[in-house]
Amino acid sequence: MSVSAEQLAQDLRGIVGEDYVFADVFERMVYADTELPYDVEEGDLPDVVVQPADAQEISKILKYANEKKVPVTTYGSGTSLIFGTKVKHRGISLSTERLDYLRIDEDHQWFECGAGVKNGRLIKELGKLGYFLPIQTQAGSSFGGSVSVNTLGHLTDNVFARPVNNILGLEVVLPTGEIIETGSRCLRRAAGWDLAHIFIGAEGVLGVITKVRMILYPMPETADAVAFFKTTEEIGHAIALMYKNKLPLPMDGEFVGEKACKVGYEAFGLDFPEGAMAITRSMGRTKEEALRDASELVEFFKSVGATESFVLEDAEVKEKVWAVRENAMHWGEEKGLKGFQAIEVNPTLPQLPEAIAELKNITQGRKGLIGQTEAYLYGHVGSDSLHCLFVFPYDWSTEKMKQVVDEIWNLEKELQLKYDGVGGDWGWLPHRVPLFREKYGEVSYEIIKKMKRLFDPNNILNRGNIEGEV
Amino acid sequence: MKEEHVEENVEKELHDALVSCEKCHFCNLVCPIVDSRVTQGPFGINRAIYYGLKWNQFNDTLRDLVYSCTTCNKCVAMCKKVSRGLPLVEVFEKARELLLVEKAKGPMPEQAGVLKNMHVRGNPWGNPPHERTKWAEGLDVKFASQDNKVDILYFVGCASSYDAQGQKIAKNLAKIFKRAEVNFGILENETCSGHEARRMGEIDLFEYLSEANIGMFEEAGVCDIVTGDPHGFYSFSQEYPRMGNELRVRHYSQFLNDLMDEGKLKLSSKVNKKVTYHDPCYLGRHSEVFEEPRKLIQRIPGVTLVEMENSRADSDCCGMGGGRMWMEPPKGLVSSQAIAEKRVQQALATGAEIVLTACPFCNITLNDAVKSLEKEDSITVMDITELISMSL
Repeated sequence: MSVSAEQLAQDLRGIVGEDYVFADVFERMVYADTELPYDVEEGDLPDVVVQPADAQEISKILKYANEKKVPVTTYGSGTSLIFGTKVKHRGISLSTERLDYLRIDEDHQWFECGAGVKNGRLIKELGKLGYFLPIQTQAGSSFGGSVSVNTLGHLTDNVFARPVNNILGLEVVLPTGEIIETGSRCLRRAAGWDLAHIFIGAEGVLGVITKVRMILYPMPETADAVAFFKTTEEIGHAIALMYKNKLPLPMDGEFVGEKACKVGYEAFGLDFPEGAMAITRSMGRTKEEALRDASELVEFFKSVGATESFVLEDAEVKEKVWAVRENAMHWGEEKGLKGFQAIEVNPTLPQLPEAIAELKNITQGRKGLIGQTEAYLYGHVGSDSLHCLFVFPYDWSTEKMKQVVDEIWNLEKELQLKYDGVGGDWGWLPHRVPLFREKYGEVSYEIIKKMKRLFDPNNILNRGNIEGEV
Repeated sequence: MKEEHVEENVEKELHDALVSCEKCHFCNLVCPIVDSRVTQGPFGINRAIYYGLKWNQFNDTLRDLVYSCTTCNKCVAMCKKVSRGLPLVEVFEKARELLLVEKAKGPMPEQAGVLKNMHVRGNPWGNPPHERTKWAEGLDVKFASQDNKVDILYFVGCASSYDAQGQKIAKNLAKIFKRAEVNFGILENETCSGHEARRMGEIDLFEYLSEANIGMFEEAGVCDIVTGDPHGFYSFSQEYPRMGNELRVRHYSQFLNDLMDEGKLKLSSKVNKKVTYHDPCYLGRHSEVFEEPRKLIQRIPGVTLVEMENSRADSDCCGMGGGRMWMEPPKGLVSSQAIAEKRVQQALATGAEIVLTACPFCNITLNDAVKSLEKEDSITVMDITELISMSL
């Protein structure tokens, strides 16, 4: 970096104005903090936080950063679970939060919005007009971040397509500062080359997505169902069969393992059958359609061993059932454990029960710090996505926390390789780079690196993510 | 930056409360002071306090963030729902106490004189104490005392005692009590409830004022208090030292419903108005009084009540709580006027002619917002008591 932090802040003020450059330690610290269980250290802080208003200002910042060789890390909402927004080489934290423009165009049947719009706001605004956002991540995450990771959150891949299939066009600022537009304003997407596809899922290393145009989905009617099984493995069997037997797939298929259910039932004073719980959300054009599909799933669950299953028609019971699932962040507190780290495993369908069985007992007899953690199983089994939340004391030292996180990530890699999984919900960069390299090999990894060099010759944008630095 | 061992009790308390933040950012989603920067909301404030303690750094940026919270409690409800239920507002108030008492960093510069006024003159504006009961002149309102026993002590509160708009609430309430033949009185030397002093981190002043009020309650022999000030209501019912089981505190929305249930208060004149109701934070979310004000409104003949997009536990803040009535947030932080204007926009979207509230602070703030939006022709802000007195 050929410029001092003070000069950097001063120069950026010249681009975005006095009010949108932040150099105070508390501002920089908040932008450096991540969902990692250990604390931010001084070296993790950016030199400056900048909030540009539009693509033109971002273009100027990136041109300046190339000239001065200053690393730029993009920040949408800081909720990345693979830590793509974590600053690795100081420099500039470039926040897209001011890109909050939203236009819902019912005539064209698409909506267009800035990358900084939060998914919670989109869900609400689209909902008011009777439309549905086919991305169900946590509501605080930014739309630009979700698109750059190409995630649809909890939703079932075989019901809703990934963002890459629903996006009509993008505005992108390249790392070298050029602004490009991709895609169409008509509903017909391009066959053949569509440059949008290069940036969606590139996890922000090839450019800064500043504007997204996505098709409108009418709000579906929904009906929820619950099924109680003696073991979580039985849920795995049932889901694999659900696909094979061509049942109406739910848009959302959640599950909570035995241990987490026990905690949840006790917390909410629920008298539900012992064991594990599956929750489904079926959709239809009409309520009747949704209810018909939910009822079909209930009958199916009963036929494959559910001790009890029913459509969630009573609002109070429905709230309690979902509360058990949503209570995930309290798991471990009953044992006084508040530090946590989650993993994701996406087994192939036939391996679903086996993977569940292994995860259920993952800490038992295991050496290292993982053996000292408690693990809780949950996730989006309908979309073939299993999570395991490891909890441990929050007063462990930073070193110990870092060690346990390393162990947990290595374990995630082993399991993903064993069960043929991918970065299903959260993406790859940076912490899953080792998994990517082992799964797809060095030639594939080299392709990504070459693309990065082509787009970003000075490695200015999100430096360290492709390199796998966390 | 040097890592410090957190040894002090308050600091340890804050550290232990914040260390388990899951960093999901859900709290920011519902916070009225978040505009476009993650630092602005409860997530940013909580992280700033956490690292301020860890790195032993207490500067003006930290102070500005900590004092920017309106204490509306929406983040606490959200955290309880989706995460670990951090008592964020309590933590922020504790941090204000730490900044004010230990670090000589609080309160906000404009609030220092306000706290002094509360101490010396018993009200935040520094108005003469002898003018506190001036609003009651000519209304034949008793001063409660051992010699002048009352069934109900009406605790007026500072805003309804001194502010012209707030005084309307006191006058209307006195009129309603008289119509229902309630044997009520006020304190001759009523002083500030201290609620806002506590919000600003001045815990000693809060204790001093609470003791003064409790002393006067005891001296007058009152055990049944009714107030129109949700801030005082919250402090009396949840923060004042316990006075045995004898003290009963009600907001007027509860008391007037009781009077109507007992047949002591009847509303006869029709008020053909479409109204909406703004839940004050300290009456709604903090004290969970959501239904009584609505029931009261619906008892007024001719009134049609419509709800705003965010209501009851999900209601938005007016922007003036938590000591913000007496400060203008520094550049880069959301102004109270902007928060109030957003709320008025929600009220306008309902098509209501009147936005009702049950708090003098909200009344003042929303009124100002209607004026700044130049919407005086479209909507009027009123306290529920005003509409009731129209229907007597």
